[in-house]
Amino acid sequence: MLLAQAGFGRGDKVHTALSEDLIGGVILSPKDERRDRLEECVSELRADYGDASIMVDPQFYVTTVSVPRDGRLPEYDYYADHAPLSRTQFSPKQIGRYVSACLGYQNAVPGLSYILSPSVLFDDFRDSWSQIALNMAEASIDYHAGLGNAPPLLITVVTSELALRNATGMGEFLDALSGLEVDGFYLLVNRSSSSYQAALDTRAMENLMYFVHVLAHLNEYQVVVGYSDWIGFLLHAAGASATATGWHQSLRQFSMARFEPADGGRRPRKRYSSTPLLSNPLIVPELEDIYGADRLSDVLSGSPHDSILRGGPAVGEARWTDEIGCLAHWAAVGRAIDRIEAQRRPAAKLNTAVQLIDAARSLYDRLLSRGVNFDPQTGPDHLASWRDSVSAFRHTAGI
Amino acid sequence: MPFPNLTAQQVQQAVPDAAGIVFLDKGGQKIVFSCTINGKPYALKILQPRLRPLMREQSGDVGADPISIDDVTARAQREVATMKQCDTPHLVKIGPIEMRTIQIDGEDLLCFSEELIDGRPLNKLLTQSGPLSPAEVIELGQNIATAIDALWRQRKIHRDVKPGNIMRRQAGGFVLLDLGLVFDLNDESYSVGPVGTQVYFSPEQMDFANRRQVLDFRSDLFSLGITMYQMATGIHPFAANASSSWDVLNNIRNLQPQRPHQVKSEIPEALSDIIMRLLGKRPSLRFRSIRKLQQAFADAAGEGGE
Repeated sequence: MLLAQAGFGRGDKVHTALSEDLIGGVILSPKDERRDRLEECVSELRADYGDASIMVDPQFYVTTVSVPRDGRLPEYDYYADHAPLSRTQFSPKQIGRYVSACLGYQNAVPGLSYILSPSVLFDDFRDSWSQIALNMAEASIDYHAGLGNAPPLLITVVTSELALRNATGMGEFLDALSGLEVDGFYLLVNRSSSSYQAALDTRAMENLMYFVHVLAHLNEYQVVVGYSDWIGFLLHAAGASATATGWHQSLRQFSMARFEPADGGRRPRKRYSSTPLLSNPLIVPELEDIYGADRLSDVLSGSPHDSILRGGPAVGEARWTDEIGCLAHWAAVGRAIDRIEAQRRPAAKLNTAVQLIDAARSLYDRLLSRGVNFDPQTGPDHLASWRDSVSAFRHTAGI
Repeated sequence: MPFPNLTAQQVQQAVPDAAGIVFLDKGGQKIVFSCTINGKPYALKILQPRLRPLMREQSGDVGADPISIDDVTARAQREVATMKQCDTPHLVKIGPIEMRTIQIDGEDLLCFSEELIDGRPLNKLLTQSGPLSPAEVIELGQNIATAIDALWRQRKIHRDVKPGNIMRRQAGGFVLLDLGLVFDLNDESYSVGPVGTQVYFSPEQMDFANRRQVLDFRSDLFSLGITMYQMATGIHPFAANASSSWDVLNNIRNLQPQRPHQVKSEIPEALSDIIMRLLGKRPSLRFRSIRKLQQAFADAAGEGGE
């Protein structure tokens, strides 16, 4: 299942995507929503889409950023009453207070499908932050057990590409997580680069797949991976129950930079989300070049909005609004995930993932041979990295 | 101090409410007799307490004050308490004599009675009759998983699941015996080093210093996996080609044994898969709940294990 990772400027995108069945639900962002609007949004979505998965990422991990760019978060008591926090402010008693405020708030918002626990970021599976994260998880489970008819709990785990690349202690950490009596996990991976990169470090991706596999496939937890974008199809192949992506590049991969002071940025160039390429080529010049090479239909994802570009991407670019770009992106990423989810057995899911990667690689080769040039960010390099990660993961997991 | 050689007659005099006492077995610090109490058959366990009380610092727990009793007595008390707490036909039950001190030849000994199982231990069964059928192995798994679950509901871990501690009842079904090494996560530790039978250790059981952090019921599941592998194939998965106990422990940590159905083709793949899951090198690779394991057993039974 694909979820919308909400951020600033939600507009009607989530409603539209739910009505068009492009997404299965949404993860809302308190940083980007007034408290009353967030609660209204949950209520409206629940009324209109009874089956949608609706969650709020409490973003408690922002409390440890020394000078945070925390937007609307100070409007939420569970955040405002405690932030900022240092490493010494996580005694069992203090953790109990953070947990009760955070879970208590979510439990009081009617219509949520899950409650997400508060957590902190750690860069090493054996450091003191990871132990704090485990303590917060256990405290959340204890508190949640006393809530009676509350929505099920997902334990938030905020790790990093750095931790996954090294992976020392990941086994012990998984042993601890898999001993928890809880419905599942909400997993975030802080990327090493704050600018968008389609692929994680190859080893980190292998370990992330293994992490998801152990929790989701072997231990049968719900595993929701936030900010996963295109790698979502690989995580579904490893067993994830849902992955999420949003409308800005900053909502398509998780970086704590999103919560730190920023210099501002320029408006991003318009891109098209291509399921066959498993990437987002620029509408001008890349998609235009593909059109010029008479291969446009090869890269289109089959979204209803493709017609805007069929007469020539450069001509259609002006009508390719941000909202259309977002809906088309969800449609494209969702199609790759649907291909994986159509398979039942783990090996078949992974075979399908490899087929998608190989088909994308072949398509890139054909386009390159026809003189289409790609920006390094849009080129095929991520595919080789993904392929290597899948192979290594299969070897480790014995699938 | 060696355990005294007790005769049935001496025990009869020391435990007058038991009758028909017959020697059954002798271990390191215990001797077991069969008897009848109020006309029903029971096993009578007699243990020799140590002279010195256990210090908490010896056990690795915080503090250095004495636990006031020696470790044998403390373990026996835990064994009796555990038998009283757990109500399943797959764990041996306490008998009418719960715990008492008896004197034989001027020496203080501990004594309690427990259910006398009419059956054979699996280690003898394997030697005498060979491996169990796949359906029997599934039943063994189901029964012992129930026993492990009953212990874990009390936050306890058996730590010595092995064929020698499992009896097959004459009337059918399997029973887990000998709760003397039970580890209680809610209570003090009485051990000063790794306990259990090394060739049935889980990988994390070797990490004695961190036992409170690393041990849970999934450690017993690993030992159950070894037991099931052995009872299904006739071969110990980690000891078959080992020349020393170090080799076995190294194999437990690192060796991926041949899958059971590759050793013996009659074993269904579904059962083979369960055994291999139980033998996962890390707890997170096994089953996270007994309920999920029991479901896997039920599925395997439905796929031809029975």
